[in-house]
Amino acid sequence: MKKKRIFSIALAGAMLLPSLGLLSGCGGEDAITLRVYNWEEYIDEGGKGTFIFDELHELDENGDPIRDEHGNHIHIKSDIVDDEYKAWYEETMGHALSEEGPRVLDDFCEWYERTHGQKIRVEYSTFGTNEDMYNEIVLGNEYDLLCPSDYMIMKLASEGRLERYDESFFDETNPENYYVRNVSPFIAEKFATNGGLNVRQDPDGEDIYWRDYAAGYMWGTTGFVYNPAALEAAGIPEEELEELGWDVFTDGRFKDKITAKDNVRDTYFAALGVTYQEELMQLDKSADDYIPKLTAIFNATDEETIGTVEPTLMDIKRNIYSFETDTGKSDMVNGKIWLNYAWSGDAVYALDLAESGKSEDGEDEATAYLNYFVPEAGSNLFFDGWVMPKGANKEAAQAFVNFMSMPQNAMRNSYYIGYTSVIAGEEFEMLDYADYLYGYYPEDEFEEGEEYDEPVDYDLSYFFFGEDHGPDEYISIPAEPKQAEKRQLFAQFPTPEVIARSAVMDYYDEEASIRINELWSRVKAESLEPWTIVVIVVTVLAIVGGVLLLKFGDRLDLFRLPPKKGYEKVKEEPVSYD
Amino acid sequence: MKLPRFSRKTLCIPYAVFLLFFVIVPMCVILFYAFTDRQMHLSFSNFLRFFSDPTKLSTIVYSIVIALITTVICLLIAYPVALILARSKLKKKFVILMLFVLPMWINFVLRVNAIREFFNLLSQADAMSGLSGANIFKTIVGMVYDFLPFMVLPLYTTMLKIDESLYEASKDLGAGPVTTFFRITLPLSMPGIMSGVTMVFLPSMTNYVVSDMLGNAKVTIIGKFIYEYFGSDWHMGSMVALVLLIVVFVSTLLTGGFKSEENVRGTDL
Repeated sequence: MKKKRIFSIALAGAMLLPSLGLLSGCGGEDAITLRVYNWEEYIDEGGKGTFIFDELHELDENGDPIRDEHGNHIHIKSDIVDDEYKAWYEETMGHALSEEGPRVLDDFCEWYERTHGQKIRVEYSTFGTNEDMYNEIVLGNEYDLLCPSDYMIMKLASEGRLERYDESFFDETNPENYYVRNVSPFIAEKFATNGGLNVRQDPDGEDIYWRDYAAGYMWGTTGFVYNPAALEAAGIPEEELEELGWDVFTDGRFKDKITAKDNVRDTYFAALGVTYQEELMQLDKSADDYIPKLTAIFNATDEETIGTVEPTLMDIKRNIYSFETDTGKSDMVNGKIWLNYAWSGDAVYALDLAESGKSEDGEDEATAYLNYFVPEAGSNLFFDGWVMPKGANKEAAQAFVNFMSMPQNAMRNSYYIGYTSVIAGEEFEMLDYADYLYGYYPEDEFEEGEEYDEPVDYDLSYFFFGEDHGPDEYISIPAEPKQAEKRQLFAQFPTPEVIARSAVMDYYDEEASIRINELWSRVKAESLEPWTIVVIVVTVLAIVGGVLLLKFGDRLDLFRLPPKKGYEKVKEEPVSYD
Repeated sequence: MKLPRFSRKTLCIPYAVFLLFFVIVPMCVILFYAFTDRQMHLSFSNFLRFFSDPTKLSTIVYSIVIALITTVICLLIAYPVALILARSKLKKKFVILMLFVLPMWINFVLRVNAIREFFNLLSQADAMSGLSGANIFKTIVGMVYDFLPFMVLPLYTTMLKIDESLYEASKDLGAGPVTTFFRITLPLSMPGIMSGVTMVFLPSMTNYVVSDMLGNAKVTIIGKFIYEYFGSDWHMGSMVALVLLIVVFVSTLLTGGFKSEENVRGTDL
């Protein structure tokens, strides 16, 4: 669910190897090693563009630091990386916060040595898809910590490839258990109930719950980024998108103006949405069995469903501009496409990029405002979590998870990658973060007499108290109406309504996996008519024949003219000059 | 001082080890996976599935067609260039040759990205707007651009080796330029054509980075197929790879065995 996969494509083109972006930190003679295998661009990597650096420096509109006349960066005071934050850092790390934006991995090494009295080295490598990571694990590569998505956590656990977290990891009374103390109750519930999926068994016959095997890291939804100005110019009112929902994929007005994902999981999911939209809309959202029904529809892989979905997938393929994993964002910003099916974190990134008036390659483009919507009929809710493969160094791995779960570190990672952290914070620190990013206080911004939109209350109670929170457990931030309705805030922190209509992906069992892959290859491949195949085969055979003729041309005298009248063809004799 | 003496046998060991571990063993692994099922039992189900599935057959045929078109276009562009360069008395012809070969020295992904951006720019013009959907066209242009040097070089080196006296003799005996071309230049440049064709045809069947980036991932060639199967089903992936291997083998048989070819494949540059 990640930003930059172009490099993995490039690498895979050259060699079918995992992309080992090996960034290791710290170390020393007697250091132990922690091998972390994470998504590409899925952690704070320090320097420019990080939370700490950007907050403490004055930046120009490109996000580059401004220099004073001596060529030094201009430092500023920040509302969120404030004295309290700096004090926390000093207390945790034992030294003052560097304004240059330290790498979170380096900080982990220092912190670990400080608190555990043991030097540690992090061997950090990255993957591009869940399936690539799975192949690596099956091949026997050893890691201590992986970050797969929901369905892959389940697959790994059901194959008995994962270690359970220690009981002590979940002990809330221990102040050092940052994960369990800071994690959002909403996420904890989802992890305890597998997000509403069926419970499966591990090889020993025990029930699998994500909670036992995984600690959350990031989460989000899938939906559509769209360009309202372009739609308006084409005479399509924005409101119509909501009505169309998943049907935007097959609507002829968006021909060559919409993209799908170049992987079977997301595109099959979308095709299910298109095919069963009416059925999904008719479900009673207040019924107890709504989520199980929704989840079942979005995870159907039986032959009949595949048969029904296949023509839809073909329609989608005909209608879309491209299957993409990474190019959608820049195509969106430079106006080539109007709609992009996207993961929420990528959506936030695309929206930010468009607003900054820059396309990804840095060229000036017309400043455009993009929006995000999630189909009314339901969409996908995903979670990426830390799991420990069998044989992992559990102690160090769990310490790593705890370190990343400190709200101050969760902010750093979330800021850098654009996705939403699972951390809420004991003291609701992440609320401050959300408020800092999206809080809207017009009375401070506007002069008296100026017109402005009244702020709306953006309800985040579910995230901080759990989905079944009581009436007095209410938390919200004041938000600009547009932000609340369709912009970054809406993408990064979905509304309770969006959550209530989102389904988690299950993994395909072996037979389903074969069926789905065959389906995908039929969709992706060019299906030629039988007569075309015959024509082509004949042509190829003709060429082969031609080549053979040329090859034995010497023998057939292909390049010689027949003898003229009165002459006779003689056999060539080798000439000897002896 | 006495130099250590190695027998030929000893000197061969590193190469033998290399061949064993990087050629023979991987081949065996592919064979093994292609003819087993998920329980690792011997099985012909992949084989049967492959040849009873029109999708896979049409993808193979489709890849061959794309590769053939690419090869023909490369040949049509490269042949005159090589001929002019080899036959001309230009002092700086090396520079011109360099210009054709130069792109090869720049990172491949960078080149594909550049041409993608180039097409993006072009398609912004109203008259060219159809270009953004012309996936097959863009894929082929990208492949031709990428593989052209592999065609120019072998052609140039073979033509350079054609003895000048043959042309003189041909002229002496009253042959016109057309006759000279068909009876001297073309037959004697055959080895160059063949190795050029091999070097362009084979990669353009499998290089899916080009088709993904320029064809919007809507053009699926056999290389992409293999890659996707290896995400989930290694057995089928191996079978597709094996079939491709056979296609390649057949095409090498066809193009191989021309006179003095061995002097051509290793080019001067």
